[in-house]
Formats: sequence, structure tokens, C-alpha cells
Amino acid sequence: MNSATYARRNLSRRKGRTILTVIATAVAVLIFCAIRTVDVNFMAAVDDAMADRIATRHKVSITMQLPKRYIDDVRGIPGVTKATWGNWFDAKDPKERIPFFQGLAVDHESWFDVYDDMVVDPAQLAEWKTTPSGVIIGDKLAELFQVKPGDKLTISSGIYPGDWEFKVIGIYMPSRRTVDRNSVILRWDFLNNDPRAELVKDQIGWILTRIGGNSSSAEMSRAIDKLFDERDDQTVTMSERAFNLSFMGAFAAVLTAFDLVSIVILLIMTLILANTLAMSVRERTNEYGVLRAIGFPPKSIFGFIVGESLLLATLGGLLGCVLTYVLINLMLGPWLESGPMATMFPYFRTPPRVMALAMGLALALGLLAGLLPARRAAKLKVTDALRRVD
Amino acid sequence: MATESSNGASIVTLKDVTKTFYRGKEPIHVLAGLDLDVPSGSFEALMGPSGSGKSTLLNLIAGLDRPTSGEVTVAGANLSRMSDGQLAKWRSQTIGFVFQSFNLIPVLTAAQNVELPLLLTDLGGADRKSRVATALRVVGLEDRMDHYPRQLSGGQEQRVAIARAIVNDPKIIVADEPTGDLDRKSADDVLTLMDKLNKELGKTIFMVTHDPAAAEKASVQRKLDKGALQ
Ligand SMILES: Nc1ncnc2c1ncn2[C@@H]1O[C@H](COP(=O)(O)OP(=O)(O)OP(=O)(O)O)[C@@H](O)[C@H]1O
Ligand SMILES: [Mg+2]
Repeated sequence: MNSATYARRNLSRRKGRTILTVIATAVAVLIFCAIRTVDVNFMAAVDDAMADRIATRHKVSITMQLPKRYIDDVRGIPGVTKATWGNWFDAKDPKERIPFFQGLAVDHESWFDVYDDMVVDPAQLAEWKTTPSGVIIGDKLAELFQVKPGDKLTISSGIYPGDWEFKVIGIYMPSRRTVDRNSVILRWDFLNNDPRAELVKDQIGWILTRIGGNSSSAEMSRAIDKLFDERDDQTVTMSERAFNLSFMGAFAAVLTAFDLVSIVILLIMTLILANTLAMSVRERTNEYGVLRAIGFPPKSIFGFIVGESLLLATLGGLLGCVLTYVLINLMLGPWLESGPMATMFPYFRTPPRVMALAMGLALALGLLAGLLPARRAAKLKVTDALRRVD
Repeated sequence: MATESSNGASIVTLKDVTKTFYRGKEPIHVLAGLDLDVPSGSFEALMGPSGSGKSTLLNLIAGLDRPTSGEVTVAGANLSRMSDGQLAKWRSQTIGFVFQSFNLIPVLTAAQNVELPLLLTDLGGADRKSRVATALRVVGLEDRMDHYPRQLSGGQEQRVAIARAIVNDPKIIVADEPTGDLDRKSADDVLTLMDKLNKELGKTIFMVTHDPAAAEKASVQRKLDKGALQ
């Protein structure tokens, strides 16, 4: 036997209380991991943005359009290797089976050159270039709509009235895991020639530019914006990462709220641990008096209690990590990635570093929770502890 | 275990000891100018009405507390001048404790309870084991080593507590109403055991008790009343 035996056995004294505390800690760790997972995977899309891709939009707002001739001006800037554009189509499923997916009207000649992380079969791409009503769609979306190349696809739009009939020409595959696999890519000229898009005729939503290896994205962004500075429509150009972030503005606020929640949950976990410890310590005051009488120094008592707290936190943390792995990585993750939320979360797994962080926090807070009761017990006078008969 | 016999020299000496507690601002003078000499190897019983200060006196002798004034010398050490840390170490080497309510740790087996004081020594596992076995043999419970306190009777629990008190081979055993929670038969067993510790192992025993039959077993009976020994 050694001193750790005592700390360990103490956990089995009030089994019900120990189990409840461990479960509470585990649930806190699980919730913390879930929130961090949303965070991490959301930011992954932002962080994964290509360093050599920059995006240009209207200075006033993303919802305002730019004249189409701007694209030629951008292409003329030294350092620009490729440039393309897109318009927001606000695609919807007319039968409302699929709640959310992206629709983009793009330049069929240049889009997939700039977005070479969306991989399309060359034969399909060639066919698309000769088929104005053709669309290329993401592999996951094709699965959801149950369509294959050659099939008809009817889509409606939140901006343009009526149903839009398309022909599926090809499927694009992601070459990186943060590429959205739920987009439908239609031809901008097809939209532009339709009378329903009369209001935005010859206008484009935003410009995407690939820059040469040795030009910095900040410098190139400034060069582009400077070019349009004296024109009617001024622009804002930023790296794809910043662009993605500005798109997610509202969601970023939600993430901040989530982060606050996870802090509150950890605080509650600490209080639950501290309360359990305080109750146990109070019940055992007399026993600590006996140990002190026998000759155990105050720091031993302190160690027993902190050790017990760390043990509780370790058990809770481990159980929490197991729950996280099973519930998120084996169940929720695969479901999200293949379900209607896949546009938001093309990849949803808790990385090991998040579990390690949760475990570390559980231990640190377990230590914190044990400190106060441990200090109080260690400071008791032996005679007072012995007189306490609870 | 070493054997000593009563040689008449004092092992406990209290000189003009006072102990005052404060309940808020109001002082409670529990011991007022108390003198005491306990010869080495004696078995003493301390009686007296409730609240007379028996436990307070016992705590001073055992080095659990320090007097408000006066000198307490036990086994050659002047306790009035020792720090808390020094006292703790001294207690672990010099004093064996027996309490009224047994005070065994419920989550440890009899053997582990007895082993507790040895965790404060440098003894290795094998040495600790043989010491524990010896102590449990002295109290006649070597066959209950692996039992938990709840699997033992009250009398057996108290005998395990006595084994714990002697495992470090202390010079003095202090007992605060060791038979207070026991039936007559178990109480007699415990008292017989204490007598054996005193006579065969030469332990000095200082026992507080309410029970006249228990006091009978001791070689000296003292009475504390209103903070003074009669
Ligand atoms: N730590 C303390 N703080 C305040 N008062 C105390 C403290 N310890 C003891 N007393 C008081 O000192 C007096 C003597 O207490 P003590 O415990 O020594 O009595 P006792 O003779 O052992 O009594 P009993 O037979 O009931 O055990 C009591 O009035 C008690 O309330
Ligand atoms: Mg008492």
C-alpha cells in the first residue's frame, strides 16, 4: 500500500456521488469538444483558403454588383495569372427536399482554371463549354439529388423567378477536404441571356484572381483596388481567407457565443467537482484528524484531497473523450458530412488535439477544484478535526 | 518489539500547565496550574466529569496541542517549544493513539489500517508487512488482515486500532475512552489487551475513561475536577 491507495479507495466511498461527478465532468468535456469541433472545422475552411487566390467585391457590399468589363482590367494587371468571376444564384430545391446548397453562376471558360481544387473530367468540361444550359455539380449534391451526367435538373432561385431547367453535364470532385461538395455550378452567360436576369445584365458578383508565385496577396489586392479607385464602382480586394471570413461574419458571432458557452460549462464542471470534494472532505474531517494525530503532515492531507480531485477529473475527462469519439467521430460526424448540413461542414470530426486540450483543461480545473477544500482541511488544527463528529 | 519495564523515572512531566480556550472573547480556563508526573511503564487511568478537561490534558501529553503556559515534557522532549512539524514527527515515533470511536479508515483493510503509521517511516514493503503481521498477532487478529472495518465487530475494530497504535513501537499509548463504544465483553477484551501491552511490552499507558471497571485495570487512578487533579 502507499498513499495513493488511500486517495484511490476514497472514490469508492460514495459510489453514487463519484459516478454522478464523473458523468458531469464527462458531459462537460463532451460539450466542450463538440463546440471546439464546430469551431475548428469551420475555421479549417477559412484557413485552408488558397494563399494565391484573392477575391474582389464591391466596396459597399457583397450584395452589390460590378460591371463585367472589370474582369478585363484585372486580367491586364501584371502579376495576375488567371482571373474569373461568379454570381450568387441563391439556388433552391423546388421540391424542398434539400434544404441548403450553393448555386453559382460562373464563367465557364475560366472558373475551373482558377478553382483547380474542384476537379472535373476534361471531357465533361469540354462538353459543358458547348452546352449553355449545362451544370457541373458537386459529388455529394449529385448523390442527394440522385442525378448523374445526362440527367435533367430543375432548380429554383431566391433571386430569379420560376423554375430553371438544367442538364447535368459533369460532377466535380474536391481535391481538398474543405472544398464544398454541395454546389451547383451553372454558366454565367446562360443566366445573363435570360430575361429574368435583366436587372443584373452584364454585371458580375465578384472576381477571383490567381496571382503569380512571387507577388504578395496584399500588394496585388492594393493594385486591383487602386485600378478601380476613380471609377463609379470601387472595390475591396482581399485574400480568399479574409473573404471566406467576411462571408461567415454572422456565423463567427455564433461561434463566439459558443465559445462563451464552453467556458461557462467548464466553470460549472469545476463547481461540481469542488462541491463533491468539499462534501467528502467535510464528512472525513475526523479521519483527517486521526491521520494528523498519527503523524501525517498537513501536506499529506492536502495531497490526498488534490489527488482525489485529479483522479475524479481524469476519470471524467477520459470518459468524456471516449464519448466524444463515439458520438462525434463515429456517429454525428459521418451523418453531418453526408447530410443536408454538409455545405457547412464538409468535414466534421474532433481532432485528437482538441480531446487532448479538453483532457488538459479537465485536469487543470480538477486541480483547481481540489485546492480550496484541500487547503481548508490541511489548515485544520488536529484537535479541532478530532473533535468534529459529523 | 523492545521491552521496557517500569523503572520509576518520569516519562511524562507537566509543570504548572494551564490551558485556556476562547469561545468568542470569553475565556474558558480548562486547566489551571496543573502538575503531573507519570512514571515510565505505568498504566494510568484518568477519570472525571464530562467537560472537566480530560481530553484536553490527554491532547497535551500526546503532543496534539500546546499548553497556554507551563512546561510539558514527554519522553525527554519539551513539547511546549516544538513546532507543529516537529510535533507531528515526534508523535509518529513516540505516541500510539486509541480513540473512542475506533477511527479506522473504512476503505482500507485491517492490515492497511495498521500499516498507515509505517508509511511515514523509511521501512520497505517487506519490513512493513512483517511489522503489521506482528502487531495484528499481538491483538489476536492475524486471521482478519484482509477484512474491512465493516466486516469486523466493534471489539475487533478497536483491537485493530490498538495494533495500529503499537505498530511503530511507541513508548506511550494514549487512549481516550477506548471502551466507551463497546459492550462489556469486548471492553474487557480490550482492557486485557492494554494490560498485556503494559506488562509484557512495557508500554506506558495513559487512558481517559468514564468506566470504573476500566479504571480498575489501571495501576494508578487519577481524577480531574474543575481543572485540577485530585
Ligand atoms: N478547541 C476548543 N475550543 C473551545 N473550547 C474547548 C475546546 N476544546 C475543549 N473545549 C472546552 O474545554 C472543556 C473541556 O473539554 P474536554 O474535551 O477536555 O472535556 P472532557 O473532560 O474530555 O469531557 P468528556 O468527558 O465529555 O469527553 C469543555 O468545556 C470544552 O467545551
Ligand atoms: Mg473527552
